[in-house]
Amino acid sequence: MNNWNAVARPANSEIDPLLLWPAMGLLFCGLVMVYSASIAMAEGSRFTGNQSAYFLMRHGIYLVIGLAAAAAAFQVPMRLWQQVSCWLFVAGFVLLIVVLIPHLGRSVNGAQRWIGFGPVNLQPSEFMKLFAVLYAADYTTRKLSDMASFSRGFVPMAGVMVLVGALLLREPDFGAFVVIVSIAVGILFLGGINARLFSALLVVMAVAFVILIWSSPYRRERIFGFMDPWQDAYGKGYQLSHALIAFGRGEWFGVGLGASVEKLFYLPEAHTDFLLAVIAEELGLFGVCAVIALFALLVERAFAVGRQALTLDRVYSGLVAQGIGIWLGVQGFINMGVNMGLLPTKGLTLPLMSFGGSGIVANCITLAILFRVDWENRQLMKGQSV
Amino acid sequence: MKSIRFSRSPLLSQPLPVWRRRVVLFFILGGFLVLIGRAFYLQGINNEFLGDKGKERFERVLDISATRGRITDRHGDLLAVSTPVRSVWAIPEDAELKPREARSLAALLGIDVRELNRKLSSDHDFIYLKRQLSPDVTDKVMALNLPGIHQKTEYRRYYPSGEVMAHMVGFTGVDESGQEGVELAFNDKLTGKSGSRRVIKDRRGNVVEDVGSIHPPTEGQDVALALDAKIQYLAYTHLKQALEIHRAKAGGVVVLDTQSGEVLALVNLPTYNPNNRVRLIGEQLRNRALTDSFEPGSTLKPFTIGLALEEGKVNADTPIQTAPGKFHIGPATISDSHAHGILTVAQVIQKSSNVGAAKIALSMTPDDMHAMFEAAGFGAPLKLGFPGEVGGHLRPAKTWRPIEQATMSYGHGISVTLIQLARSYLAFARDGDLPALSLMKQETPLASGSRLFSEKTAQVVRAMLETVVQPGGTAPLAHIPGYRVAGKTGTAHKVENGRYANKYVASFVGFAPVSKPRLVIAVMVDEPSNGKYYGGEVAAPVFAQVMAGSLRTLGVASDAPLTPLAPLPTDSESVREEM
Repeated sequence: MNNWNAVARPANSEIDPLLLWPAMGLLFCGLVMVYSASIAMAEGSRFTGNQSAYFLMRHGIYLVIGLAAAAAAFQVPMRLWQQVSCWLFVAGFVLLIVVLIPHLGRSVNGAQRWIGFGPVNLQPSEFMKLFAVLYAADYTTRKLSDMASFSRGFVPMAGVMVLVGALLLREPDFGAFVVIVSIAVGILFLGGINARLFSALLVVMAVAFVILIWSSPYRRERIFGFMDPWQDAYGKGYQLSHALIAFGRGEWFGVGLGASVEKLFYLPEAHTDFLLAVIAEELGLFGVCAVIALFALLVERAFAVGRQALTLDRVYSGLVAQGIGIWLGVQGFINMGVNMGLLPTKGLTLPLMSFGGSGIVANCITLAILFRVDWENRQLMKGQSV
Repeated sequence: MKSIRFSRSPLLSQPLPVWRRRVVLFFILGGFLVLIGRAFYLQGINNEFLGDKGKERFERVLDISATRGRITDRHGDLLAVSTPVRSVWAIPEDAELKPREARSLAALLGIDVRELNRKLSSDHDFIYLKRQLSPDVTDKVMALNLPGIHQKTEYRRYYPSGEVMAHMVGFTGVDESGQEGVELAFNDKLTGKSGSRRVIKDRRGNVVEDVGSIHPPTEGQDVALALDAKIQYLAYTHLKQALEIHRAKAGGVVVLDTQSGEVLALVNLPTYNPNNRVRLIGEQLRNRALTDSFEPGSTLKPFTIGLALEEGKVNADTPIQTAPGKFHIGPATISDSHAHGILTVAQVIQKSSNVGAAKIALSMTPDDMHAMFEAAGFGAPLKLGFPGEVGGHLRPAKTWRPIEQATMSYGHGISVTLIQLARSYLAFARDGDLPALSLMKQETPLASGSRLFSEKTAQVVRAMLETVVQPGGTAPLAHIPGYRVAGKTGTAHKVENGRYANKYVASFVGFAPVSKPRLVIAVMVDEPSNGKYYGGEVAAPVFAQVMAGSLRTLGVASDAPLTPLAPLPTDSESVREEM
């Protein structure tokens, strides 16, 4: 199966510029916007020692660590990744248990998501997303012939997901749960799971969801309360209403970099979960569309790299690349949807951009693996072995 | 786990379904398109609504306070001026202090740490921790760099002349609104009109930027009082001395300019320091000269005599039999403290005979006397625009019994304020004309007021009043070298629980120089309790001291030789008077 990408790409190029520049653009934009969004908060907080560059410094250090880790990860052949993917997944699973052990796990705002190593906090769920991609791709590759079978193809993965989900919901980290389930289901779907089984599963899940919601006005209110933040704008709708105000104030081209008012203590989590709202206010619809376009480009390229790997008969690499595309796409969509009030608020960062050490390092390693898949594709096309 | 070499796998003959990739990519990119649509709605269509919601949250209209006008005396000396001070306030929600920080903050603010913690745990968005602090203190507070603790500049009223002017000038509350005195009476003029600016604030209350135009404030206007700070100070000093010497409870001095009707000085004791009003009690606060009425006693006799002269009942030389110093009206008895025998009308004033005044009063109708008292300004407030001003007590004429008409002739059974009393004497100083008073400095010359007596009557009474301060009168101590002085003493028995108690109000009202009167001064001393209590002994010396100093200050030409009065007789009889 030939496609235009494979043809259009210069054979002697080592790295796909259409992959490199969106990734670098998002990372760099993230650094700038994290600084802009956090500057007032960092300066006005005793926790940061009133240093305005507190978050900039840390985000920069995480980026350096992340890029170093990425350089290392890039050296690892995909074959090796596949060999260790099962063990990585088990290691991630253990970390998810450790994070729940009192005294080992650290809790912030009622969510126990971090393991403390001295000054460094590790967030296992961020790495678990990567491990889930590697594991699901490996699982699917191993069971390609069983994909049509409910008991052999679907049930084992469903069991694993129930276990992981139970741990994630204990933290709680509903957002990570949704992302990991999306990755697993998406890779299974791409891997050829029985279409009728898959559709039936989707229908059953949808019906169950609808019944659950409509049977209880309380639950309905909990889930759909986000749709009208103005009803309780100073209570439950506080964060979202401020995010929406940020969007509205931004209009076409924004109020200018650094000029956000929402970040002046009004919008909570401005430098993490609600970074897009600050981008929207400072850079306007233009800035928001640019970010979405970069994400779309990245996702499209991930799928293209995966497609190319598959044409080269490299199933594992192809599924990993596309799994990464699903991950970045789904998490980006959910985070941005939350910022715009399309989805209920669920504590997910914007990949590659939001502040957060584990997230940034995991994202960099993920990109490195994507580049590795692409690089191996090129090597193979040049007739070299990998 | 064993690695599987897919390049050799037989499964490769079955490539993964391509449509599935397209479906997944379609959903993800479709989701991004939905996001762009939503962003377009929020930022391009619904932006006005959201912008308004934003304004509700960050935009605030701030008052730009107008600077309160200054209060000055007639020469421009500052009596009240606003100085910048700082207030420390907090957003309790943001202020999470460690115990050590709370302690140092409380120490700087000078408040109890429990009080501080109580304030910081309130559920208000904004709370003052301490107001009106000096900038050095707030600078130290800000240097602590505590979260949620802020300062703002306010103005505090400062009164350079302190307790000397306290009752006239009054003071403002913590929000710079007038609470007493001129500060209250002319509050609107002094306050001005505050301007406004619309600003964006961050959630901690700091102003980020201005939006829209700034409406500047209209500054408060200055108020120039008629008061002369030098004369006020003289009056204050001498009254204070007199109160100490005579161990009196209270006292007052009013100095009027006969030419303009301006109040040049108004002093009450006890007074207070308007710059430090801790432990302030009502006694100190009262502007007695305007808000308290008292039975004036003999100082009203000249009005009775004036009316009798006006009506032709008597002339200055008409003999009145005052022997044996007692006069019975029904069951009641009016008595002089010393029996005098036959006195001329002029001597009734000079010796202050109650019997004489009563007999003259009974030759007139209650209606005529009531009308004259009313015309003299008694029984109704002068409407000076001063808070709490009272009018005294003057009963309607038809309720007067003869004994009451008789006692009123010498100032009992009627009550007046000190300022009413001072003003009424303008009629003698101004040849019968009684003008309105002014607390404000007057730029235009005074228009004449209402006529109380004919010019001739006023001059005749004036001549009688001059004999009071001469040997043989009741107030030789009111004499001033170099000036001719006229006046009248008063010593009223105070009424307590409906009967006359053994307490007195000593007073003296007079003017100088007699040839061309310039100042009227009224002095009142309440409850002198160191032996002496006659107006001529207690109040007259204060009058003389204040009058002498004031005339010199004003540079009034003398109209009498600079000779001291003949030595006082050791026998105190000559300074005695009736009550």
